[in-house]
Amino acid sequence: MPQGFPYLAAAYIVVWLGLLLYLGFLALRMRAVRTELAAVEELVREQQRGEKD
Amino acid sequence: MSLLNQTWTILWKDIRCELRSKQMWAGMGLFALLVLVIFNFAFDLRVDNQAAVAPGALWVAFVFASFLGLGRTIAAEREHGSFDRLLLCPVDRKAIYLAKLLGNVLFIGVVEIVALPVFAMLFNVPFAAAGLIPIVILGTLGIASVGTLFSAMAATTRARELLLPILVFPLIVPIVIASVRATGSLMIVTTNEPPWLGLIAAFDAIFLSLSTVLFEHVIEE
Amino acid sequence: MALANKETSAAGDLEGTRSAPQLTGSRLPLVSLILCALTVVGIALALWMAFFYAPTDAIEGQPQRIFYVHVPMAWLGMLSFVVMALAGILYLRRRDERWDWVARAAAETGTVFITLALITGSLWGRTTWGTWWTWDARLTTTLILWFVYVGYLMLRSYMGRTPASARAGAVMSIICVIDVPIIYESVNWWRTLHPTAEVGTPGALPFSVVLTLLVSLTAFTLLYAVLMIQAYQLQRTQTLAQRLRADLE
Repeated sequence: MPQGFPYLAAAYIVVWLGLLLYLGFLALRMRAVRTELAAVEELVREQQRGEKD
Repeated sequence: MSLLNQTWTILWKDIRCELRSKQMWAGMGLFALLVLVIFNFAFDLRVDNQAAVAPGALWVAFVFASFLGLGRTIAAEREHGSFDRLLLCPVDRKAIYLAKLLGNVLFIGVVEIVALPVFAMLFNVPFAAAGLIPIVILGTLGIASVGTLFSAMAATTRARELLLPILVFPLIVPIVIASVRATGSLMIVTTNEPPWLGLIAAFDAIFLSLSTVLFEHVIEE
Repeated sequence: MALANKETSAAGDLEGTRSAPQLTGSRLPLVSLILCALTVVGIALALWMAFFYAPTDAIEGQPQRIFYVHVPMAWLGMLSFVVMALAGILYLRRRDERWDWVARAAAETGTVFITLALITGSLWGRTTWGTWWTWDARLTTTLILWFVYVGYLMLRSYMGRTPASARAGAVMSIICVIDVPIIYESVNWWRTLHPTAEVGTPGALPFSVVLTLLVSLTAFTLLYAVLMIQAYQLQRTQTLAQRLRADLE
């Protein structure tokens, strides 16, 4: 049925958009947690330096 | 102390506690009745329709009233710290679960006993009372078995009144379907009806045993 | 293969993250790279086959091709649920937090796939039956599974990153994984009394259709593995960051 085509396109677009968005969401959170981790590690190092003195 | 003894001791303590505070009972009972009244306005209940909608109205009222009652003992106890004191005692965790479960079943059961005759009156529905008792008991047992387990989980969270129904509703779908259909088949005789009561009984057996075993994992510190 | 990959990278734990926190590509071992490459190839092949190799359905026409994405989505949504429950059981037995990371990763990816399964199922139902929704056993169970997934994510979110939260999640997924077949069966019984439109492809399927479906399924499963690895790494890093922050205080 020619009128079914928009649904077909919609289905494939939704699937690929959804999966890509999720991948992006994962990458975003990964970046955020990595910067946080770096900041915390910096604090730990400073604390250790402070203890040595 | 045997498992049965422990269960009974905790249950009896809970019952005595509940008997002191009458607010929950009144609240739950009124709530169930209100749901039934709202159903009357929501659905056009002319005589031929009643038997079709009545079982659904009854069980919606029961399910919603159950959720009001499910969280009460464990949540209140956790708040007041008495639950931690209970955990300090060398009591079998299964006994705690069974006691909470039976307490919930009794509590919801009282509300159901009150709601049923009112329901029969409001909907002008004849009742084969004897046939209804096993359905109500087993159905309530099913809802409470899963509900008690999850109320222990949700008890420590902020939005427990909201979280508990969200978690439990999907799981009790078989109970709701089976109970409504079983109740309905009491009012209208149908042929080729699947064994709904058997389904509820199987559900109860499976989830009661599973929850009893898993409960300790949820409440240990 | 994928799980072994996760375990070896987790063993490096804190020292590993300390030495390479800045690398955005981070610890991308060879296995992971090969997996990604295979996934891209597989997906390209699956897409080509879905549109050019598979025949046009005589009854449904072009929209039937939704089948080639809908089935893998539903299948992976359910698979992820089983993975979640198994990881929960293993967590309860071994008390190894890495299994909880697997469970949380499976919950997230599973939610994504189930959501897409629902949407594609609804779109497909719309083309064949004219309705956006039908209460057949498969779609209904998929919907309930969606609620369970979301409920799980909410529970874990509310309870935070604690062992109590992990245990609660494990218990919930065990209960749910046993309940879902019961739900499916009870909806089936209920449905026989109210026959409704069913989403699915009736009758025997020609070979080209089956082949395309299998290729599509394999490609998406590879993609699932890639997503799981990323989600697992995220869970691991988040836990380590939280722990480090707690040690500081």
